[in-house]
Amino acid sequence: MITLKNVTKKVRSGTEELTILDDVSLEILSGQFVAITGASGSGKSTLLGLIAGLDDPTSGSIDVDGEEITEMNEDDLAALRSMKIGFVFQSFHLIPSLTALENVLIPMEIAGLKDAKTRGRKLLEDVELTNRGHHYPSELSGGEQQRIAIARAFANQPSILLADEPTGNLDSRNGNHIFDLMTELHKKNNVTLVLVTHDQELAEKAQHQIHLRDGRIVSDK
Amino acid sequence: MSFIFNLTIREIRSSWRRLLFFFLCIAIGVGSIVSLRSLIQNLSKAVGGDARELMTADLRISSTNDFSPTEIAMIEEVLAASNIVEEKNEIIETSAMARPAKSDNRTLEFVSLKGIEPPFPLVGKFEMPGGKPFDFKLLENRGAVIAPILLEELNIKIGEKIRIGEAEFTVRATFDEEPGGSSGFRLGSRVFVEKKAFEEAGILQNRSRVNKRMLYRTSTNPTNLVESLREKLKGTTIRVQSYRETQERLGDQFDRTENYLSLTGLLILVLGGVGIWNVARVFVEQKRRSVAVLKCLGASGTKIISVYILQIVVLGLVGSLFGVLLAQLALWYARMSFNDALPRTMSYSLSPSTALQGLFIGVIISLLFSALPLLQVRTIRPNLLLRDDNNQNLRKLDRTKWLAGFLTLAGLVALSVWQAGSFAVGVFFVAGLGITTLVLYLSAFLLTRVLRSLKYLGSFSISQAINSLYRPGNQTRIILLAVGLGAFVVISVQSLQTNLVREFDLTRNQSLPSLFFIDIQKSQIGKFERLITKSTGEAPETIPTVRARISHINGKAIDYQNKEVRQEQGQIGREFAVTYRQNLESNEAVIEGRWWNGKPDVPQVSIEEDMAKTLKVEAGDSITFDISGRKITAQIVNIRRLDLKNTRTAFIFVFRPGVLESAPQSFVANVLKRIPAKDRQRLQRDVVDAFPSVQIFDVAEIVKVLQNLVENFVLAISFVGGFVILSGILILIGSVALTKSQRIYENAILKTLGAKRLTLTVILFAEYGVLGLMAGIIGAVFGTGLSFAVARYILDIEWELSFGLLVSGIGITTILVMIVGVSASIGVLLKKPLSTLRSPQ
Repeated sequence: MITLKNVTKKVRSGTEELTILDDVSLEILSGQFVAITGASGSGKSTLLGLIAGLDDPTSGSIDVDGEEITEMNEDDLAALRSMKIGFVFQSFHLIPSLTALENVLIPMEIAGLKDAKTRGRKLLEDVELTNRGHHYPSELSGGEQQRIAIARAFANQPSILLADEPTGNLDSRNGNHIFDLMTELHKKNNVTLVLVTHDQELAEKAQHQIHLRDGRIVSDK
Repeated sequence: MSFIFNLTIREIRSSWRRLLFFFLCIAIGVGSIVSLRSLIQNLSKAVGGDARELMTADLRISSTNDFSPTEIAMIEEVLAASNIVEEKNEIIETSAMARPAKSDNRTLEFVSLKGIEPPFPLVGKFEMPGGKPFDFKLLENRGAVIAPILLEELNIKIGEKIRIGEAEFTVRATFDEEPGGSSGFRLGSRVFVEKKAFEEAGILQNRSRVNKRMLYRTSTNPTNLVESLREKLKGTTIRVQSYRETQERLGDQFDRTENYLSLTGLLILVLGGVGIWNVARVFVEQKRRSVAVLKCLGASGTKIISVYILQIVVLGLVGSLFGVLLAQLALWYARMSFNDALPRTMSYSLSPSTALQGLFIGVIISLLFSALPLLQVRTIRPNLLLRDDNNQNLRKLDRTKWLAGFLTLAGLVALSVWQAGSFAVGVFFVAGLGITTLVLYLSAFLLTRVLRSLKYLGSFSISQAINSLYRPGNQTRIILLAVGLGAFVVISVQSLQTNLVREFDLTRNQSLPSLFFIDIQKSQIGKFERLITKSTGEAPETIPTVRARISHINGKAIDYQNKEVRQEQGQIGREFAVTYRQNLESNEAVIEGRWWNGKPDVPQVSIEEDMAKTLKVEAGDSITFDISGRKITAQIVNIRRLDLKNTRTAFIFVFRPGVLESAPQSFVANVLKRIPAKDRQRLQRDVVDAFPSVQIFDVAEIVKVLQNLVENFVLAISFVGGFVILSGILILIGSVALTKSQRIYENAILKTLGAKRLTLTVILFAEYGVLGLMAGIIGAVFGTGLSFAVARYILDIEWELSFGLLVSGIGITTILVMIVGVSASIGVLLKKPLSTLRSPQ
């Protein structure tokens, strides 16, 4: 379960202080599919980043599966992400110097898992890219890169999958394919899926929808 | 661990092209350290590795006088008591004029004559043609064994006779290598004769510059025996030396040279280190996203830093291995270029310990210089994947970075101290380097500030070029620092070289005689003058000389067995040729006291400035001279400065007339007139035929030998300078390559906005032209300053500003930077803009 209590995030932009998230509290149950929507700059990605421990909130607390993450140091947070959280980004963020298979292997190697290669190949099979494993990201299409990113996100069998506009850089055919793949894996592995999206149609398919405006939750249904 | 190893291998696989520069920086630096160190070590081995062979004995007792019966008795007494002497022999050395006995062969050569007796050598051996053993019978009954070149010089064959002084010798053989080797500076080719014949033939009569040696082979270490002999021989001018001391002295000299040269190598490696720091810095900036992804996937900062550190170690190690290979190539190059100047037996291979040392230093320098940039990995936050805010955090200094900075500095000091073999020199080196870098960096900073204010004065291309120098992440100051430092070293070396060559260009000295004669006897002087006047049309300048030795200073006897005096013996313990005259020469000036004046109560002497410093005496002090066994105490009435660049003869001691006239004396003479080589040869032969004991120095020939030495020295400096230039160019290429992606992006935008390829080409040339010009100015200004300081305050030679060098230094740096910069960026001009603009920055 993910619980946020009175989370506020402020950043400094030049001399001004901007409030990105303003006193946000919410609860996401395990195994749930939650969509976070809102206009550009409403604080969606920041909220997702805070849940993953990629940044610290200015105030408030965040609890992931019973662990208060705002108190953790960088290395503890890294260990938490390694074991529990998978992340999919809008612009894929594959490591350009590694092949597709190596990108998938990375989380398992970080965690020190044995037999990473076998599982890596299986994951590539799951995302239908068995024959593209030796290709570098620059040799793959956008859709293929995102499928590799999904395979990577599921590498350590996380209990939570955070996806930041995963279809935002893709055409509709590839976008639908990616969405189907994620929801299928979410169901198959009983993973909590938190999806940040602009696409209202995709958000409708979620069990729980949170709408943000100017850093505040304006609807939670 | 498998994550760290796997990622390291993958990173190297994908980034090796970008890191090739890193690799080369290390290779060049390690190559220079290993090659310079090996060169000196091998030279040391070839020249002084076996001091016993060099001395041809274990113990040597030498004197420029005859050993008196009392002295011989004292020596015999100590030797008998020690009971370790196995064998002994005596040798005599002097220089002489040798000429063929055949009257139709008019050649003549100055030779270095050595009279030996069996068993010779006590240690080492002759290498004779065809590997034959040396047989002492070759020297019996007036035989001579000579250096092969003398056959050519005298145009004679084995079996023919040569005349030395009044005596005739039959040339029985040549040798390939003489015992003790033929290294070192020696005037004249070697001729071996029997010591007995040497004495019988009267070669020693009327001759100065004679060295008599008694050599001993001992059954054990002769150190104690040497001490006993010195104790016994106190008060005499006899020199006692063991091979061990020679070994130590040579070893010390070579160690010092090796350590100083290693510092030069370290300087090149530190330059490479600057390149590494630059690569690591930009590498980390380029890897920010990948690092953030890895952190996002759960990798800790420590794990990621471990990956990069391992990568640096691997690259440093491979680079160093390549450096060792380069060092071997450099040694082979040295063999090709300096073969004539280096000993024949010298090895040109690397010693394993030096190679290992190079590998170690290479890896350490890689780690030291990449530590600070790599630490930035810690501060990369994974949230940059969501919101790419500026990377100010990356450069912030925190406690860890300060600590790393301190460790880097400490490591550098430790390396320098180790390489210099001295704490003070090591610290001075790092401090000097730090100050130089700071000054160069500040100059680069100031120049770029000035330049910025000029950007609106030029055309569009010029303003764009100047703008390019200020783009975010620009490498301007780093390039200025690196190339400026390279230009600085090269220009200072070149400037020093020009001044050194000028200083040693003896042909500029119009006062130099063309021929110089010594050992002309009083009875011969009239006939000698007539002969010279008849041949040249000009009377020679003749000067009386008396051989004298310093025995007391201010009444205190000099103890020649004392260690400090022994070390200076070459300067103060030798026999001096002193003269007497009424007037001061035109190349002399009195700097303390007054020239002869009044009526003297005691003998008076004038002393040369440097000798006065060595002896720590001033006007008013007294020196007692030993002249053929008679003691003469003279008062120093003045100290003279000699203008050595405008001199014919340089006398350290000049007596006031009235004292030495009756002392045993000979004359030296100068022929000032410029005479063609053939006539010089003929005149020399005429003089030696008439006066066989006279020795002649063909000054033009000596100048040639000296100039050859200077040229070799200059070539050696240029050899080192070559490494520095290479490092500077590498840093430049690396810096250009690092900013390439930004350049591509800017060019794509300019092309989209309508800029033609020609405009972009002009911008590129202007950018690197301006950069090269600034680096050239920095290098030229500071390089000239350094050469002035070294010339005036260290080498104590005259310094002249060479405008040609200054202008060509700036010009060549500008052109070089332009060529390297533009050729490294040429791909940027050819790239189509669309693909660049589509791909994310």
